[in-house]
Amino acid sequence: MGRVICSFCGCLCDDIEVGVQDGRIVSVRNACALGRVRFLEWDRDRLRHPTVLRGGEYVQVPLSEAIDRAAEIVSSARRLLVYGLSSTENDAHREAYRLAELVGGVVDNTSSVCHGPSILAVQQSGIPVVSLAEVRNRADLVIYWGANPVAAHPRHIQRFVRAEGAFVRDRELWVVDVRRSETARVADRFVRVQPGSDLEVLSALRAIVNGHTLDVSSVGGLAMSELSELAERMQSAQYGVIFFGLGLTQTGGRHHNVDAAIRLVQDLNSHARWGLLPMRGHYNVTGANDTSTWQTGYPFAVDFARGYPRYQPGEYSAVDMLVNRECDAVVNVAADPAAHFPREAVRHLGRIPVVNIDPKKNMTSLVASVNIPAAVAGVECDGIAVRMDGLPLYLKKAVDPPPDVLPDREVLAEIYVKVAEELGR
Amino acid sequence: MTSVGVRLLLVTGRTVRQGRALESGKLQQEYMDSVAVCEVDRTTLRVLGVTDGGPVRVETIHGSVVVRCRVREGVDPGIAFMPCGPYANAVTGGHTATTGMPEFKGIDAVVLPAPGEGVPTPEELLRAQLEEGA
Repeated sequence: MGRVICSFCGCLCDDIEVGVQDGRIVSVRNACALGRVRFLEWDRDRLRHPTVLRGGEYVQVPLSEAIDRAAEIVSSARRLLVYGLSSTENDAHREAYRLAELVGGVVDNTSSVCHGPSILAVQQSGIPVVSLAEVRNRADLVIYWGANPVAAHPRHIQRFVRAEGAFVRDRELWVVDVRRSETARVADRFVRVQPGSDLEVLSALRAIVNGHTLDVSSVGGLAMSELSELAERMQSAQYGVIFFGLGLTQTGGRHHNVDAAIRLVQDLNSHARWGLLPMRGHYNVTGANDTSTWQTGYPFAVDFARGYPRYQPGEYSAVDMLVNRECDAVVNVAADPAAHFPREAVRHLGRIPVVNIDPKKNMTSLVASVNIPAAVAGVECDGIAVRMDGLPLYLKKAVDPPPDVLPDREVLAEIYVKVAEELGR
Repeated sequence: MTSVGVRLLLVTGRTVRQGRALESGKLQQEYMDSVAVCEVDRTTLRVLGVTDGGPVRVETIHGSVVVRCRVREGVDPGIAFMPCGPYANAVTGGHTATTGMPEFKGIDAVVLPAPGEGVPTPEELLRAQLEEGA
């Protein structure tokens, strides 16, 4: 099967060839190390059957019984949190929003712990976006800032930065980071900044680009002479791009760091064409932001308690909901908060019922009251996902899911019907 | 016995090994091996008196966890790197400064040798955290 989309990271590589024999994936071509595992080990360590927690033990039950138990949890919750969504396809998102709206709950996606701060910055300052095709064909200076694509998006450099461009002959690749990452080692230039000083360095570059003189000898570990040289080179580019990662969003300053990067790029547009793009991790986290915005008006951290959507990161975002002990039940879809949230948030997962919908066993499956296995989107069911630059792509189905295992969208739709029945709506 | 700790700035992030292992299965040994790690520079390892791969305790104001210490080229003195996952999150705080985002990078930490201490499995780590919340 040719031109399959890889549903691992936000690159959504669209040139994967998957060999299928007797209903099993036997070979993969063109995928990176991460994508190969996504396809070749799709069936490893699966949640094979729906289970419910009874007397401290997980008991295997028919799907209908697991749906009933999940619906019971959802309908009796006073403050439901629906979380995850970034590793499933768009139609599943729609069902998740319907469910949250039905019970006046909160729905948040994993962007609150990845590029949520980037969204806050974009809402404040706008974003001069670029498409990945433009980058490949036109960019002559590409900067990864606080991002390590060699580890997290292994084909990003190969497909869009080191690839031959239609309108560009020489392209420079820089990395700005606090450590010499794997990506820094393959870059043409590595700029090491002191940890926690991205905001200062970005602001200093802005000042220089705008013709100001700073009365200091260094900023963020960089001598003024080096900063001036960097700014000059950035202004002389024909087409520059900053790809920024969690090095900006997960450090102190958070959205202020991204805001400074956006404003630097806006300033550089007086001199050359510049754009920037967040390096999105989960393959459909961009889709989760898009669908949430289409359906609710807001990209993440949405509350339906008043019957209409309200938006407040820091209050309706998943970590805050858990740390503040605000939610009394969680429906987790295609994510693993027990593994990826700080311990203070994980503690609350143990106090409340959790409905876990995921293809694989994970740490949340060990704490859940109900586990419902789902088909692997992009492998066992089709759907739409959105690439990091906003391009929607069609995920193909390569093999059938295990017997009685449904896509996320169908599991959520069945829970919705049951909850609506129970609440008489 | 007193032991010498090293104050470091803890940065968490992705690695290829962690990415492969999480897709393969979170409850597999390979996942534990890929994330129960604290990477430091060679000098820090020598000061700690720990062999490459030996157990260390990473402590922050938010908690502590025992992981394997590894020397990593590219990690500067003063910085410790942990792959994102349950072990890094055991020492990460939940405060988000009203953004929704905890501070996963740039956490003040002390790394101490932990001779004879075992690295908990992800399941043991989770159970301990749930008990704290009970």
